[in-house]
Amino acid sequence: MKTAVLLATMLCGAATARAEGLVMGATAPLASTKMKSATDGKMVSFADVKGAKGTMVVFTCNGCPYAKAWEDRIVELGNIYAKKGVGVLLVNSNNPGVSKGDAYEAMQARAKERGMQVPYAVDEGSALAKAFGASKTPEAYVFDKGGKLVYHGTIDDNHEEAGKVQKRYLKDALEAVVGGKAPATAETKSMGCGIKFPKTS
Amino acid sequence: MLGIALAVTKPPLVTPANVTEVLAAIRKPGAQAVLLNVWATWCEPCKEEMPELIRFYKEHKDQGLRLVLVSSDDPKERHEVAKFLAAEGVDFPTFVKVGDDMRFIDTLEPNWSGALPASFLYDGEGKKRRFWPGKVTYEQLANETKQLLKRRKQP
Repeated sequence: MKTAVLLATMLCGAATARAEGLVMGATAPLASTKMKSATDGKMVSFADVKGAKGTMVVFTCNGCPYAKAWEDRIVELGNIYAKKGVGVLLVNSNNPGVSKGDAYEAMQARAKERGMQVPYAVDEGSALAKAFGASKTPEAYVFDKGGKLVYHGTIDDNHEEAGKVQKRYLKDALEAVVGGKAPATAETKSMGCGIKFPKTS
Repeated sequence: MLGIALAVTKPPLVTPANVTEVLAAIRKPGAQAVLLNVWATWCEPCKEEMPELIRFYKEHKDQGLRLVLVSSDDPKERHEVAKFLAAEGVDFPTFVKVGDDMRFIDTLEPNWSGALPASFLYDGEGKKRRFWPGKVTYEQLANETKQLLKRRKQP
């Protein structure tokens, strides 16, 4: 009996320790949760931005060197594909209490500085990041026109030098959903900064 | 004479390494347990946990613990990496990651998203025993390495 209880406890421990992210084909969780966008001060949800061709969600932030290195490319892709029928939602899930550079005012400044034409939303309490199972910045998700997850991962294969990129994973995924096709590569990875989740009690 | 007795921390050797070279450093014979930590100078939680990692290592290296530090900083920023490590009292060779991120991440641990910091514990045979995404504590390290380090043969 004791062994069984111990084993069960261990299994639970193992299950919760693993990052549980959205699986391919999943729909976006918390789709109607409204978040304040630093781009224009309006409240916005996934459902609000959902595009006819697909939807892209990118967890990013102000301070992470990886997010900053890719920022121009993320914003450019967002601005371009928003015009091609893809809904775009950039999300900052960092707890500003821990990460001061991610305060709303700093996000507003960043949105302006980078010429964002798409929402850059405050994820209160990191709720959206938790629901998606996102763990770092930047981390991108692309849903097809039916709302199913078809791409999850990084931006491209060279954050340091845009000129040396060989594989444009996110762009290829966006191009695929615009064309009504499945992306050739569904899952990619890169290093990134851990999302600064609020302390759990 | 007194001047000679002053302990000077030598700047650590920060060598560029791809994932194969990192694995070779982990699997190099001679350790009872190997702790791998992937970090970066721009990663605040990484810097926060570093003193505890170093302290744990220094208190257990005589029992056969090896610490492999891999910075994910741009290899061009190597001097910054070395500066930080020297200030933390690191006096052994460390690495800065080169090569493809995805290959590095998936080779070390398919369940790792790539978020920093990340720590991994290997036994003396180079078999992975534990993966910690995020910060680790001295207590966690002590608990997990106890069995491995206890096995050390007495000379």
